[in-house]
Amino acid sequence: MAHSGPMTDWRKAKLPVIAFLAPATIIYTLFMIYPLLDSIRLSFYATPSGGEAAFVGLDNYRTILADPDWASVFWNSFWNNMKFFAVHMLVQNPIGIALAGILSLPQLRFRNTYRTMMIMPTMLSVVIVGFIWQLILSPVWGVGADLLDIVGLKSLFGPWLGKEASALITLSFISVWQWVGIPLMLIYAALLAIPDDLVDAAVVDGATHFEVFIHIKLPLVLPTVAMVSILTFVGNFNAFDLIYAVKGALAGPNFSTDIMGTLFYRTFFGYQLQLGNPHLGATVASLMFLIILGGVLFYLFAIQRRLARYQM
Amino acid sequence: MADLKLDQIRKRYGAVDVLHGIDLDVKDGEFVVFVGPSGCGKSTLLRIIAGLEEITGGELMIDGDVVNTKSPRDRGIAMVFQSYALYPHMTVYKNMAFGLKLDKQDKSAIDARVREAARILQLDQLLDRRPSELSGGQRQRVAIGRAIVRQPKVFLFDEPLSNLDAALRVQTRLEIAKLHQDLKSTIVYVTHDQVEAMTLADKIVVMNGGNVEQVGSPMQLYHHPETRFVAGFIGSPAMNFTNVRIDAVAPGKVTVSAPGGIKSVLPFEVPQSEVGKIVELGIRPEHLAPGDEETLSVNGEVDVVEKLGDSTYLYIKLANGDRVTVRAPGHSRIKIGDMVTASAPAGAAHLFDGDGKAFVKVDYPAEFSAEE
Amino acid sequence: MSFSNIRREDASRAVIVHAILLTYTLVALYPIFLIVINAFKTRKGIFRDPMGLPNAETFSIEGFTKVLAKSNFELFFYNSFTVTIVTIVIVLLLASMAAWALSEYKFPGNTALALYLAIGIMVPIRLGSVSILNLIVDLGLVNTLTALVLVYVAQGLPLAIFILTEFMHQIPKDLKEAARCDGVGEFKIFFAIILPLIRPAVATVAVFTMIPIWNDLWFPLILAPGDGKQTITLGVQQFIGQYVTDWNAVLASLSLAIIPILILYLIFSRQLIRGLTSGAVK
Repeated sequence: MAHSGPMTDWRKAKLPVIAFLAPATIIYTLFMIYPLLDSIRLSFYATPSGGEAAFVGLDNYRTILADPDWASVFWNSFWNNMKFFAVHMLVQNPIGIALAGILSLPQLRFRNTYRTMMIMPTMLSVVIVGFIWQLILSPVWGVGADLLDIVGLKSLFGPWLGKEASALITLSFISVWQWVGIPLMLIYAALLAIPDDLVDAAVVDGATHFEVFIHIKLPLVLPTVAMVSILTFVGNFNAFDLIYAVKGALAGPNFSTDIMGTLFYRTFFGYQLQLGNPHLGATVASLMFLIILGGVLFYLFAIQRRLARYQM
Repeated sequence: MADLKLDQIRKRYGAVDVLHGIDLDVKDGEFVVFVGPSGCGKSTLLRIIAGLEEITGGELMIDGDVVNTKSPRDRGIAMVFQSYALYPHMTVYKNMAFGLKLDKQDKSAIDARVREAARILQLDQLLDRRPSELSGGQRQRVAIGRAIVRQPKVFLFDEPLSNLDAALRVQTRLEIAKLHQDLKSTIVYVTHDQVEAMTLADKIVVMNGGNVEQVGSPMQLYHHPETRFVAGFIGSPAMNFTNVRIDAVAPGKVTVSAPGGIKSVLPFEVPQSEVGKIVELGIRPEHLAPGDEETLSVNGEVDVVEKLGDSTYLYIKLANGDRVTVRAPGHSRIKIGDMVTASAPAGAAHLFDGDGKAFVKVDYPAEFSAEE
Repeated sequence: MSFSNIRREDASRAVIVHAILLTYTLVALYPIFLIVINAFKTRKGIFRDPMGLPNAETFSIEGFTKVLAKSNFELFFYNSFTVTIVTIVIVLLLASMAAWALSEYKFPGNTALALYLAIGIMVPIRLGSVSILNLIVDLGLVNTLTALVLVYVAQGLPLAIFILTEFMHQIPKDLKEAARCDGVGEFKIFFAIILPLIRPAVATVAVFTMIPIWNDLWFPLILAPGDGKQTITLGVQQFIGQYVTDWNAVLASLSLAIIPILILYLIFSRQLIRGLTSGAVK
């Protein structure tokens, strides 16, 4: 961690330093790091009915990844999750970046009001957002069709959440609607950190506001864009609430909206007739951990290193 | 190169008037400096000329064209910013080429211009560096280079030296002066430092509170300040002021006095109606000298002595409580606590009425005149 | 302002810019607005004129009456409120203590500890749920708010420590050195000088800690799903699951969940953005 200025030698203040660090480190270790590691440990064990937990090596992984019943479910949820992520990257982040860019235009009136309003959905619970859209898109209520009618697209309306072909995409867009606030907020803050003089200089150099954004602002906030992308990745591969609230643990229709989070929940707690299995649950969690770790390492080593942060 | 004309330029932010109708003519090739205390509107005026701020009222002409509603790129200007405002993600070369590229200029033409500017500013070796790898002085030169390559009609400088340390500031000042001689370009330059203004300008515009106080050559402002503000702003150390009473006036002559010793006849044209009024007398420290040989004398106790080597500044407390700075020779032996009389020739005096307007001085020796 | 001095392209650009911003603002707010206005209508009103404001004929608060009668919303609020406030206080205190130690003292493993504490920013705590549940069972804390607080504190600490460490680097050295010269003890330096100085970052950290906790469904679902320990998010989820066909009640329960958080947000949004832009988050 970069540090400026001299630090105080702790030997002059051993007791305070330990007292400052211990509570946070202990709670964090006990309720975060230990469970994560223990989950991985549990994924190498199995409990036969009525027996004691026993070490089974990679058996659980073999089950999840190769057993015909499990593998199809697992890969289905993995690819669904990839689609879910792709929609966020292709829709949520560009919209967030564009809105942040517009909000950072010089001499824009009502800037703060717009920003406050646009971030509002992000503050709501995912569960609440899921229900809001479930109601609006419900053919029973019909308000979704009415809204499309205003822009003359009523014919397009359908029971999107109920159809296998469209349920996942619809849920992805609902999630995008909610989370646009994150790229918007973070990139807007990064754009504000760009000195006004730089923008003025580019304007004097003959750049339009669009050119200023493309040639000056965007390159300077690329590190933030990369950070937003990895946050999106982690958030998406850890998502659960929305699907659970709207479609339940079964992530219907016919598992078409099943993602890693719902698969983890079902495996862990069981559903309908299938009993929950903590060891298989821990195995799914460990696989999710691997996926997220892969994404984070890719970000840290392949992307973040290449993006210089410029002193402004 | 081109001339620049400001006609009743006004600027208002909401309910606040920042500029109250500025008139100014800048001739082709002239080096004009806007100087004034912070908040006087000088930077706003520069940004208006650049097209970075909208004009609330009045007319701005560059090279004979009204440019009020033109965007900066269509005005033929280039600007050097106080913070340099170099694009941190571009090399020196790209920083300088950016404007030309946006202009869709031919690649080889861009290259030629960038290299020419780099040669003039001795940046040849630095073209592949990023701004973060440059020293303050080098960044400053890149900022100037970025302006030069655009071959603008008018160069605009916004306090370009204020981020440099003292030594570099003097050196860069010289470089800018030389650049102006070489390029013979029209330059508008903003600073709060009157020394910069005096050394660089063909013409100084002294601004205060959104108004132009006076426009003139450095020597005109030094010798013939039209207002008390200009008199106090130009010159270092600042001009001394003390209140005096007008006792009598005659054609080309005025008799003033103050409690505690001042009583002089000074060469000013003062209307009869001023008799009996309190006005302000101004004398520059460098025109006062210890002793009572000259007409206009003040006396009091020395309470601070500053020895600079070549000269010594004495701070004398007058009977009315005002403090007067006197430049004495470097070898002066005067100490704190001494009672001292200092005097100046009558022609060195300045006299300002109750509104801070200068009375007209008549019949003064050539050493106090801007005429050459 | 004389209109002739505004560049025409500027004027037309302003129109386009505001049109885009207004459109998106509408997209963001209208769905929420729609839910809230319909919560104040009769069933007939909801279906006949979903987009109209409640009027004399359609106005009704029967949904709210039903929700409050059939479900224990006050209790859910109380639970969410308790868990959130207690967690925020603990996170702020522990995180600022740790951040202070990390940014101020040189000790072996300083950087390693900072990195260790940062893992939780990127790795979601949910992945450890199987073990967390075991742990909570072993501690006898199932169906208690304490269980939620413990997990949420662990979840909130990493980002809070990270933000506060960044912020503490900006505290001028002179202040604490002056205090040390005066012989002030290390604990007192922290509590009397440093804590008051980090107030601007505290609002940001509080919001970042609060929102995910208030909105979480996962941990209430697995750690405290019943016995009157439900949080508002879980309570609404269970209520709607039960009364899915009662539109009045569903809309009212959603509004009850939406309105408090939006009011809180409107109060704190300024501090949130100020914290973000003052370099508390980089």
